[in-house]
Amino acid sequence: MKIVLQNLTKIFPSRNKKSNEEVVAVNNFNFEIPDGKLIGLLGPSGCGKSTTLYMISGLQKPSSGRIFFGDDDVTELSTENRGIGLVFQNYALYPHLTVKQNILFPLQNLRGKDKMDKNAMLDRAYEAAKLVQIEQLLDRKPSELSGGQQQRVAIARALVKMPRVLLLDEPLSNLDARLRLQTREEIRRIQKETGITTVFVTHDQEEAMSISDMIVVMKTGLVQQIGKPQEVYDDPANLFVAKFLGTPPINVFSGRVKQGKLYIGEDAVMEFTNVPDQEVTVGIRPEGFILDDNGPLKCKPVNVEVMGRDVSIVSTHGASLNPLVRSIVNADNRIDITGDFVRYAVKPHKIFIFNKETEERIYFEVK
Amino acid sequence: MLLSNYVDAFTTASLGVLFKNTMIVGIVSTLLSLVITILTAFAFARLEFKGKELLFAALLATMMIPGELFTITNFATVTNLGWRNTYTVLIVPFLVSVFYIYLLRQNFLQIPNELYLAAKVDGTSDLKYLWKVMVPLSLPTLISITILKMMGAWNSYIWPRLVANDEAHRLITNGLRNAFTDTTGDVNYPVQMAAVALVSAPLFLVFVFLRKYIMSGVSRSGIKG
Amino acid sequence: MVESKQQWKAWIYLAPAIVLLLIFTVWPIVNTVAMAFMEDYSGLANIGGETSFHFGFGNFTKVAQNAEFKQALTNTILLCLITVPLSTVLALLIAVALNAIKPLQKALQTIFFLPYVTNSIAIGMVFAAMFNVIGSVGTRRPLISSYGIVNDIIRFFGGNWVNWINSGSEYWANMFVLIVYIVWNALPFKILILLGGLTSINKQYYEAAKVDSTPRWRVLTSITVPLLSPMLAYVVITGFIGGFKEYTSIVGIFGESMGPVHEAHRLNTMVGLIYDSLASNNQGRASAAALILFGIILVVTLINLWVSKKRVHY
Repeated sequence: MKIVLQNLTKIFPSRNKKSNEEVVAVNNFNFEIPDGKLIGLLGPSGCGKSTTLYMISGLQKPSSGRIFFGDDDVTELSTENRGIGLVFQNYALYPHLTVKQNILFPLQNLRGKDKMDKNAMLDRAYEAAKLVQIEQLLDRKPSELSGGQQQRVAIARALVKMPRVLLLDEPLSNLDARLRLQTREEIRRIQKETGITTVFVTHDQEEAMSISDMIVVMKTGLVQQIGKPQEVYDDPANLFVAKFLGTPPINVFSGRVKQGKLYIGEDAVMEFTNVPDQEVTVGIRPEGFILDDNGPLKCKPVNVEVMGRDVSIVSTHGASLNPLVRSIVNADNRIDITGDFVRYAVKPHKIFIFNKETEERIYFEVK
Repeated sequence: MLLSNYVDAFTTASLGVLFKNTMIVGIVSTLLSLVITILTAFAFARLEFKGKELLFAALLATMMIPGELFTITNFATVTNLGWRNTYTVLIVPFLVSVFYIYLLRQNFLQIPNELYLAAKVDGTSDLKYLWKVMVPLSLPTLISITILKMMGAWNSYIWPRLVANDEAHRLITNGLRNAFTDTTGDVNYPVQMAAVALVSAPLFLVFVFLRKYIMSGVSRSGIKG
Repeated sequence: MVESKQQWKAWIYLAPAIVLLLIFTVWPIVNTVAMAFMEDYSGLANIGGETSFHFGFGNFTKVAQNAEFKQALTNTILLCLITVPLSTVLALLIAVALNAIKPLQKALQTIFFLPYVTNSIAIGMVFAAMFNVIGSVGTRRPLISSYGIVNDIIRFFGGNWVNWINSGSEYWANMFVLIVYIVWNALPFKILILLGGLTSINKQYYEAAKVDSTPRWRVLTSITVPLLSPMLAYVVITGFIGGFKEYTSIVGIFGESMGPVHEAHRLNTMVGLIYDSLASNNQGRASAAALILFGIILVVTLINLWVSKKRVHY
């Protein structure tokens, strides 16, 4: 089932009655989510990602725009009739019901031609429990389960009625780091097995990048970029996207282009054929640095952090907009930070320049 | 024989009829009151409608007015309705308790909103959600309300005395006070005390077994049941 | 909250409550205020009530000039001023003591809470029996067959028996019995509230006081009472409101004559006045009395709030 969002907009009236400021939570969102894919809605809090998810679920009504499931316009359809599954951030399991009763709950609501007999319901519940591997927990109460187990129950409850669309709201945020890694693989596996079009919301870029078929990066209600995770990472549309994706985050410098040369401070790091002279903001991915004794970029070394396979060199640079410059180089390199400077060359495909005012990407060709 | 005092008490005050009347009034009014309280508290806790805050504030404000102020007009109202000396008059006027609505609404508000949203996603109607999720989760509060309401019926005196003082509908407290005050000089205290013991026993039993619910209900109230 | 355009749905849920409230709460408020200004009015035309009336303050003046009004007002205020502080202080001491002993706390709490669930009329009758002198008391030649348990105790310690509630008893003796009963009846609720407040006070304050070797009474007055002041204020305010509505406890002990046999109505209260007016089918006067009572309670509560605003530490 593909999902089509057409000019989707949500405006919340101002909370403060005196000022008439409205909050535009989602602004003119257009996107066609392909059938059977896993989509990550990504952005900092307040970017409108959860609002978008709630509009797809029908729990919130769009101010304007339309939503289609396949060819059906579901914009006016109420939540209970949309045939969706939704997993809440804190799971929202019914605390007084057992795991089995929780999973059965949606099935017991089916009416008319969808009504199921008791055994069929039980079969379906077992099937869903098996899919998320909680068959042995069916008679427990939610309070007797760990966070990860509760999460699985919530997913089973969302899947049991075979929804057309599965929605997950920050599904991993309440889990500890190890469980998070494990559970996100699990979600990926379940989604692959069921083939249900799935949309999930997260503020964690690593999470989104690692399991999504496509990610949507949002900021203050506006879609910044849509694409496959690697494409978005390698080819950010603007400074916000570049900064939001990647750990450690991208290094940002103020720079300028003069006679085709890109200067960071006094260091001319690169030469372009097609960029007119201007002030720019420069982003260099940590893995974009090459240790080079004759390299153009001179940084003052501060510290070396050994990360196993790689080594992270922490340094400072006068033009850096962050307090520290962080590079990641292979541990095979001989690293000497006893000198005044550590010198780098940069990989051209790991460096991005942005318009200083609009922060939009300036595409360049290396001379 | 000690027991004879109890037998005397039972017959003098016709405690059998009084017990029966009190149970009928207590059970029916508790059940109806629970239904109304649950519906109203749900509307205030979970549904959106215009003027919700204002209406709720107005309800709370009525709690400050002494009950006697209502009694005067209600006495006239039930008399004009021809309800005097019926069970109806003992049940209907007190079905709505603003305090119980407030208590239950607070409890409903503590239930995370996500459960309601989840139920919506699961295709649950409002009424079914109320019955299947909210009510089971608020059971302790509902039990507190039930006990306080039953105790209220058991202990109520002024209103029943005013509007249903005939033999057929008299309630226990009223009957107890009346049965032994006819004589001015020589009161048969042993028999009277036996009657007091008979009337108090059920309350003691309820208290011993359901102490937790009574105390938690009362500590939030300030009103005697 | 789910956004829904179906506002009418909420009103269906509210309908039963609203209908009942309109009939038995809203209408009485409107009607009482109106009736209070309708002199000689009775709402019960069909049982021979007076329906010809004229507007004015006559009901209020009649209530105020009623011989019993002064007596009822005095009784009510006297009972309030004595029982509320007394029961509050006692409840505080008992709550602090209960909070200090750990082993039997639950059991003791239960015992102290028992009076709450008892039927106040029934227990009033027990009190009456305890203070009652049986025989022809108050006549020139008393013929006594029993003095009642309280007098037995007094006599056991060599005191003279007192005519507490019987015919010929004195006003102060009546009041004493009433005060004992009302205080006893008021304790459980106050103890429960104060105990709840005590258990939520951070134990560190007491540990700090111990380190500073603070004497016990000072811990009570300088730590417990100030930290408990919101609960104390609550207990005092509700105590006064309840005190001004005192009625059933007097019926419990003295019966509906509201006084000893030789002087009925001597112990009448404000609420008693309202019911007297109702019983004589005078709705207008009853309304005026109810409004006066409401006015008094309102003023007293406002004073209480004003005082607690200055003294309570939240």
